[in-house]
Amino acid sequence: MERPLSPFMFPIWYRFQITSLLSILHRLAGIALAIGSILLTWWLVAVASGGELFAATHAFIASPIGMLLLFLWSIAFFYHLSNGVRHLMWDAGYGFDIPDVYRSGYAVLAATAVLTALTWLYVLLA
Amino acid sequence: MANAGPLSNTTALRDGSALRRVEHLGSAREGLGEWRLQRLTALALIPLGLYFAGSILWLVKSDQVTAAAWLASPLPALLVILFVLAGFAHALVGLRSVLVDYVHTRARLLAASLLVRAAAILLAGASILAVLKLFLGR
Repeated sequence: MERPLSPFMFPIWYRFQITSLLSILHRLAGIALAIGSILLTWWLVAVASGGELFAATHAFIASPIGMLLLFLWSIAFFYHLSNGVRHLMWDAGYGFDIPDVYRSGYAVLAATAVLTALTWLYVLLA
Repeated sequence: MANAGPLSNTTALRDGSALRRVEHLGSAREGLGEWRLQRLTALALIPLGLYFAGSILWLVKSDQVTAAAWLASPLPALLVILFVLAGFAHALVGLRSVLVDYVHTRARLLAASLLVRAAAILLAGASILAVLKLFLGR
């Protein structure tokens, strides 16, 4: 059955809004983290096995591609965490006024930037 | 508004039995369980995720022996297993909600859901086995 559908939220049918952008970013970050869980399991198995597998895993993580993936996953992790707290606040019934939604949205972006920056400062200086 | 008759009372969701009515007569089926699981695992993942991320940072320059010794001790082993369980359950609900939105035929939706579920169970199982192997010291 061909039912009428509302236009897709991006990119040309609606005016740009930070609310919809943060919403779709939450999903994208969640999907990225789910894919990243493959590396999480791989790393745990490598630690348990030791030997060559750990050396190969360590080499992959320390490679430019590995570091780039970890950097992107750290952004996804802190964003999904911060915005997840925002969602839980909504679930609890707080922060539904439009100015509050915008304020919490910018707060989430700031928290993501600060946490990611602190994490990689620590990695580079440790 | 003053005379809300019996008919409107059976459909309104303003009394304490609202949840039961939604489950029994309304649109809520197994979706409510998923919704709850997503929120409960989200709550659990705030401390567990921060603990795991912090531990990885602490281990960032260390070798396999240090990491293995960390995972073999009771508290880290327990918390990492809980992190893995909550994380994969949370990811499973989230990925399923994405599939439900974008996969439009029943057969493909079922296939994709089963595939994602199988992957999550395999990855979670392998992770827990890895931690248990170190914890049990074999």
